[in-house]
Amino acid sequence: MEADELLVLVAGGDQKAFEELYGLVSGPVFGLVRRVVRDPAQTEEVAQEVLLELWRSAARFDPGRGSALSWILTLAHRRAVDRVRSARAATEREQREGRRAHHPAFDQVAEEVEAGLEREWVRRCLDRLTSLQRQSVTLAYYDGYTYREVAERLSLPLGTVKTRMRDGLARLRECLGGAA
Amino acid sequence: MSFLDRLMRRDLHSLAAPYALDALEPEERRRFERHLRGCVRCSAEVRALTEDAVRLAWSTAAPAPAVLRERVLAAVRTTPQDPAPQPSRARPAQSSSRARDDWQPARARAPRLRPLMAPLATATAAAALVVASLFAVQATQTRDELDRERAQAREIAHVLAAPDARATSERDAQGRGIGVVASASERRAVVTVSGLGTPSGGRVHQLWLMRPNENPLSLGLFDGDTPLVADDLSTRATSLAVTVEPHGGSAQPTTQPVVQLALESVGFGE
Repeated sequence: MEADELLVLVAGGDQKAFEELYGLVSGPVFGLVRRVVRDPAQTEEVAQEVLLELWRSAARFDPGRGSALSWILTLAHRRAVDRVRSARAATEREQREGRRAHHPAFDQVAEEVEAGLEREWVRRCLDRLTSLQRQSVTLAYYDGYTYREVAERLSLPLGTVKTRMRDGLARLRECLGGAA
Repeated sequence: MSFLDRLMRRDLHSLAAPYALDALEPEERRRFERHLRGCVRCSAEVRALTEDAVRLAWSTAAPAPAVLRERVLAAVRTTPQDPAPQPSRARPAQSSSRARDDWQPARARAPRLRPLMAPLATATAAAALVVASLFAVQATQTRDELDRERAQAREIAHVLAAPDARATSERDAQGRGIGVVASASERRAVVTVSGLGTPSGGRVHQLWLMRPNENPLSLGLFDGDTPLVADDLSTRATSLAVTVEPHGGSAQPTTQPVVQLALESVGFGE
């Protein structure tokens, strides 16, 4: 069964359907959260929150507004970004207070990715963006920076970053169009 | 429309891509979502851009650890679900074909616009999953009450996130239930009851921890179906029990338990 159908069954309280849905989406959810959050313990926490939220909030999914997978991954991304931003804010607070922030050893999980067709395709399409488009999109999506922070990091005006993001996504769409 | 209005609208339109990438600050995100509700063009644009952003997600997929599956499926067994957000929309039925019929008209009513991502609970979502009632936040609640609930939600999230968190529950023929998510390593548990009703005459439901060769230990009084978080539990504990006690609770149980739950399956009792 497809995720869309499963999610509708889950909204009706079907635990078997949830198990099946878990099988379909736990990998994408976990991988995305890990890419954004990076810290292994926090990754598990956020992924667990998101997967449970699917069970709890399944009835909020409106099939008329897009696919279930897109709804699920959008939710996962939102939660991951919220977490990484509050972690960053806490680190900055600690540094301001002169305390030494304790950084757990981050394993560079993002790099040890297993090769997949989709992954390879996305990477190739990202390579086709201009450098500023690519950095604007990836700093926001994969690293959880706001567009203001992206503008600061890249020393670009806000308007330029917004445009690079839109053009970057549009070019990505063109390139990925054939991959589905 | 004034020039300034047009300018502001154009400025809001330009936020569609940052919004799809979750790159707005919270206040800006809310402002944009309000705008989205009244702007057919940008809601279509945001949907397309969000689909693009999601393609970036697919390329990061990685197998989730097996322990995560166990924890999530265990929690699902004791977690109630939120009702559908709008009374006008039928709750999805058990059979998918019926549910499909339900959503077709919804799709036809296209201009009914909601933000693409309906805001879902809060960042402490995992906590809310234990008992939805915790988050049945009323408009009349004071700041203090909200803060207290948030603090409790954090504690619950903490228990849920423990590597050895396990869940178990019991329900009797009369529908009286007790559920627990516990971590033996953290020596903490979140306990919920359901179907117990409100005892008459100001009496209360009191939760007890049962230990071998020791008196029952009070873990607190239930306030309706709000969960209790119990700290510093003895790992030798064998079960939980709930009794009806006079107003304010008792030092030791004075009545027979209305519900009981063994803790062996959640790692206690060694």
